[in-house]
Amino acid sequence: MFSFTKEQKIFDISGVKIGGQPGLHPTVLFGGLFFKGEPDFDNAKKQIQKMLYLSYKTGNPGIPDFFIKKEEYIQKIINFIEKTLPKNYPFSIDIIEPDLKIKTLSYLYKKKLLSRTIYNSIHIGIKKEEFETLKKFTPTAAIIVAFNPKDKSPDGKIEVLENGANLIDNGLLNIVKNIGIKNVLIDTAAMAPGENSGASIAAIPVIKEEYGLPTGCAIHNVVEKSKWLNEFKKTKKVVDASSNVNISLFGGDFAIFGPIENADMVFPIIAWQDILISEYTQNYFGINPDENHPRRKLL
Amino acid sequence: MDLMNAYFKQKEVFWNNYIKSAVYDMINSGLDMISDGQTRDSFINIFTRKLKGCRVRGRTEIIGKVEYKGPIILEDQKFVKKILPKSKEVVGVLTGPYTLTKSCLDLFYNDEKNLAFDFAYALKQEAEELQKYVDLISIDEPFFSIKLPEYAKDIISVITKNLNPPTRLHVCGDVSNIVKDLLDMPVDVLSHEFKAKPNLFNVFKKYDITKNICLGCVCSDKLKIETVDEIVCHIKKGIEVFGDKITQLSPDCGLRMLPRDVAYQKLKNLVKAGAKLYGK
Repeated sequence: MFSFTKEQKIFDISGVKIGGQPGLHPTVLFGGLFFKGEPDFDNAKKQIQKMLYLSYKTGNPGIPDFFIKKEEYIQKIINFIEKTLPKNYPFSIDIIEPDLKIKTLSYLYKKKLLSRTIYNSIHIGIKKEEFETLKKFTPTAAIIVAFNPKDKSPDGKIEVLENGANLIDNGLLNIVKNIGIKNVLIDTAAMAPGENSGASIAAIPVIKEEYGLPTGCAIHNVVEKSKWLNEFKKTKKVVDASSNVNISLFGGDFAIFGPIENADMVFPIIAWQDILISEYTQNYFGINPDENHPRRKLL
Repeated sequence: MDLMNAYFKQKEVFWNNYIKSAVYDMINSGLDMISDGQTRDSFINIFTRKLKGCRVRGRTEIIGKVEYKGPIILEDQKFVKKILPKSKEVVGVLTGPYTLTKSCLDLFYNDEKNLAFDFAYALKQEAEELQKYVDLISIDEPFFSIKLPEYAKDIISVITKNLNPPTRLHVCGDVSNIVKDLLDMPVDVLSHEFKAKPNLFNVFKKYDITKNICLGCVCSDKLKIETVDEIVCHIKKGIEVFGDKITQLSPDCGLRMLPRDVAYQKLKNLVKAGAKLYGK
């Protein structure tokens, strides 16, 4: 448990505070929806309500992360977001295909939802069309994935943020600056076991110390790719949920924890971890936890 | 986006396709000696990324003693060897110790010479591994043309001593003031930018040429594609100075700054010009 010498930026994304010194704000938890099969809106509504309740109980903000994999889902999912989430509540959209990203941005603009949108994500695959669309329809926040196929170490992640590692003409941070996105979150790009999986955790303090930006990752991906865990089904769920403590322990600000169904395990675990960190960082560094911190809500 | 798809699907990133495209361009142009194309990274970062003591930032930072920790470009050369027709040869290209030294930000040694020697010792280990798979080891030292350190020969010697394949030293830029030193380097072949710097012919003319020459024949930073006749004329000038010491024809330097189709056409014309004068 530690404190950064670099001044830490704190963003208010449509009411959710993220970033700062360890122990100040609760870890923000992103729960994924619609990754598998057809979108099941009834179940999604239940899961979101459950996550919002857990968030209310623990103080850890829960942000639904909507995966959009087909064009036909864009309007349906965005209309669902508009109808289901509390007024002004932030959400993230998680899209791989550049064409879908462009169409989704345009629809979010039309529905006046960009001020609540966390764009997941910007990375080395960004092309001119996506860049131009983002300039035109700018979301309030974006997650940058610091994936560097040449170098998966913390240094490689810094390199891709700084100068694009010769994979693109500009560093990802500059790209986001040129777009005009104000609230930037860094995802340290968790890799499968055997691909320097630990680097996504080790990179968190490195990146926070370098840039002071809110940082986290989807460590859940590493658990998913640990095939040997399939032999231990019950334990795998525990490992999946508890893997996220690495993020807060290493000073991170957010965890993209996998399917939203895992929320009932992830929220109490992370709340517990956040309390542990806060007790120490307040005592040693004088970091007073925010009024919504689990330490204030649960103790 | 291919690379990102590999990330999203959490699959291993295969760089081989990029190497393959560079290698096939070189094969199809008709070149006899093929490199891996250095597609993987900048010619500095390819090495510093895999050496101990280096931290890759905007410029690589030296934060500890530079040491070899395992193969750097070896696997790529093995891959090139595997996909090459038997009639073609592989060139293993090492970025030289002085160029690495001058390209990095030294936060540890505060002594350029010691750093250069440690790079040289590390590159020596790589060269020893490489020699089992490549037909020529080429050392790229562009910084020699800016300043030739008094220990230049020594650091090159660290690498080339007792190596089996022939060795080449490539120094681009204006080397007219250091030709005497270059001719004394412990390598078999000297490679320079004779196309962009034709005055070099006049300088080399003054010396007894004791090394084989790799003649730079097409500009590596100009879009204009040299015609076959223009290249033939250039090679003839080279023959007047070097005679049969010319053993290799090449572009002046790497062609990474040029569009792929321009680079490819330059190579094709170079090969045609070579065939006109030397036959196939």
